[in-house]
Amino acid sequence: MNLAIETNGLTRCFGDLVAVDNLDLRVEAGKFYGFLGPNGAGKSTTIKMLTGLLGPTRGTMRILGEQIDRPEKAREVKRRIGVVPEEMALFDNLTAREYLIFIGRMYGLPLATVRERTDELLEMMTLADEHKKLTLEFSHGMNKKLTLAAALIPNPDLLFLDEPFEGVDAVSSSILRDTLKQCVQRGATVFLTSHVLEIVERLCTDVGIITKGKLVYQGTMDEIRQAGSLEERFLKAVGKDHVERQSLSWLEG
Amino acid sequence: MDTSQLRTILWLRWRLTRNQWRRSGQLNAVIMMLIAAAAFVIGAAGAIVGLLIGALLMKNTTPWALLGIWDAIVIAFLFFWMIGIISEIQRSETIDISKLLHLPVSLREIFFVNYIASHFTLCFIVFVPSMLGLALGLAISKSGLMLLMPFLVAGFIFMISAWTYCLRGWLVTLMANKRRRRAIIAGVTFTFILLSQLPNLLGNILHDHKRHGPGATQSAPSEQTETPNSGGQVVPRVIVEAHKYVPFLWVGNGARALAEGSVWPAILGSAGMFILGALGLSRAYRSTVRFYLGQTTRKRSTPRAKEAKVSRAQISFLEKQLPGIPDESAAMALAFFRSLMRAPEVKMMLGTNFMMLLFFGFMILMRRRAGISDDFRPFIATGAVVLTFFGLTRLMLNQFGHDREGFRALVLSPVLRKHILLGKNLALLPITVCLGAILLLLIKFVIGVTVAVTFAAFLQLIAAFLLLSMAGNLISTLVPYRVAPGSMKPTKIPAMTALLLFLSHMLFPVAMGPIFLPAIAGLLFAKAGLMSAGAVNLLFSIVMLATTAFFYRLSLPGLGNLLQRHEKRILEVVTREIE
Repeated sequence: MNLAIETNGLTRCFGDLVAVDNLDLRVEAGKFYGFLGPNGAGKSTTIKMLTGLLGPTRGTMRILGEQIDRPEKAREVKRRIGVVPEEMALFDNLTAREYLIFIGRMYGLPLATVRERTDELLEMMTLADEHKKLTLEFSHGMNKKLTLAAALIPNPDLLFLDEPFEGVDAVSSSILRDTLKQCVQRGATVFLTSHVLEIVERLCTDVGIITKGKLVYQGTMDEIRQAGSLEERFLKAVGKDHVERQSLSWLEG
Repeated sequence: MDTSQLRTILWLRWRLTRNQWRRSGQLNAVIMMLIAAAAFVIGAAGAIVGLLIGALLMKNTTPWALLGIWDAIVIAFLFFWMIGIISEIQRSETIDISKLLHLPVSLREIFFVNYIASHFTLCFIVFVPSMLGLALGLAISKSGLMLLMPFLVAGFIFMISAWTYCLRGWLVTLMANKRRRRAIIAGVTFTFILLSQLPNLLGNILHDHKRHGPGATQSAPSEQTETPNSGGQVVPRVIVEAHKYVPFLWVGNGARALAEGSVWPAILGSAGMFILGALGLSRAYRSTVRFYLGQTTRKRSTPRAKEAKVSRAQISFLEKQLPGIPDESAAMALAFFRSLMRAPEVKMMLGTNFMMLLFFGFMILMRRRAGISDDFRPFIATGAVVLTFFGLTRLMLNQFGHDREGFRALVLSPVLRKHILLGKNLALLPITVCLGAILLLLIKFVIGVTVAVTFAAFLQLIAAFLLLSMAGNLISTLVPYRVAPGSMKPTKIPAMTALLLFLSHMLFPVAMGPIFLPAIAGLLFAKAGLMSAGAVNLLFSIVMLATTAFFYRLSLPGLGNLLQRHEKRILEVVTREIE
């Protein structure tokens, strides 16, 4: 089995808090992997460690078959991955086009390719008309779309997307979903976190569920569908205590 | 609005302030609490002391001396009030009206509550009781007419607070655009710095004019420009006129007139200030209403073709390749340079330093150029090189602090870290060269240094840049700190980081010591009669530049590796939001 992501005992602590606890993740290459969990479960911390934004306290990681704890290997891997982090990675004083050109050049792409991809991505993300605006003037959704465009510009083999559809309008979201499917069709792997179960259900081939830093479920969407819905599987995995509702005394009667 | 809502909004304002203090750390919270308590104590004590001084010590004060005292109080108040405005603009955490409008209160009610709440500032708490105390004390010691003084003080306070509120409201509407917001903050700060330096500048110019001007020998008062007062002292006419027409001087003018037994200046002054205040408040309310009706921003319609042309020109800048520089470093340098040149706070910092250097440096040089010996001139040129970097050290020693969220893109990038450092350094080179070259050219023409010395100083400028870049790469990696958007202020930094930064800034002149070696060598060779000072200076500068370039190149891979090891920690520091 060709693994795009493989972690062994991956752990990250913040003081006494264990945000990610002995995570053993296996993501096959060419899959659309949905990484689910309630708020504060450790999804973003996991993505940060996998992309080199945060160092692990313990454990090992292999991304695209390479151990990324050595700087030169990490750089090689970074050339082949695209990332939409939880918090943006934008420079306040650049326009969308300038930012994409900067990112393209940082990935070592030829200038003609950078120009061509920049134009296409700006059109696709409906940002082409905003050529005078700086990113600091962008709305959250526009910033998200720009970060997505930046993640796509190197045509990566592996995409890490942390809540990519949050704040993105329906039109762009639909185009983006198609683009991600295309990426997977040509052999790339997508690792996506989302709170919207419908998106995961519609796009993903494989699913992992994390809660309180522990991976509590890992399987294919086909397996989930055979046993019911993703929502049922998710609620079962994260525990009943997350869905218990408290009644409000003044609404009763 | 009922009293419960009023109390709740005042409580909200207090909680916002308290939480703002707390977010800056426990120690800061305690200090701020102590300052607030001290302000109340000083305010209360000021009222008593003012009353006692007015009642016991000012019985025999002349009317013109009274005018001077009130002018001084008013000017001191305005100075602290201006500082308050600037810090409020930078922090800008007042009660945002839009956050309350969904509640069962009207816009008018929130507007007035906010206006009343705006009086709870340190400046008001400290000054107003003292002013009122003094006014009452004067009424006791002088005459019953002085009972009009509290009205003058109240009119003045109302006028200032209303127009401040109007100004703030106007700035808020302008700052709705984030890009404009930063330009306004920078502009207000820049104006304040220039205004605070204005007396110094005027003093210097007047001093110069008196010494060298055509009327340097005439000291007799002119009939047309000066007027004798009732005490026999001579008061320039311009001061008398200013007190008639400048509203904030009406307090002093009213006090003088009351002491002379005339009530009209005080009555008219009070009425005038109340009317001006009312106008300010009504204008503030109208602009608030307009803002919430969306009638404030007018978009300029620019021809689309022109916009596209501008955009294309800007893109071609970022697409440039720099000869002999790796593409990643070139991309980094161009993007960072563009980013810096668009940041109003950076422009403000560079502009302020440059203006200061021009104003004061050249004022001194112009005055004393005749006394500068030929031996000392090369040292002035080298000194100008060192001064060039005074405004740049905050950028050079903290290269990642301004990236904030953008630094994440650098961590994610597959670029060799030495190329990132090279790009960052190159971005600052044009700024350094421009500032340095302007200063050196001015030095050349003002004090007349030779071409060889000027060229040598230019080489020293590049050498100093390389030296500081090496130091900057190291310090930026080891002691990073986040800079708040729109200002050059660091967000909360640990004590150790603050200490290290303080030391690195303090040691900057020492680190620049080697730059003076060529000038020293030139002097020694010339004194020994071996070679001309200029030629030696130039030769030594070439050698120094070659040496620093060699060491700079040598240092890059090591510093790049260091950056790679520390980048996650830097990311944590520069992206942490503590405001």
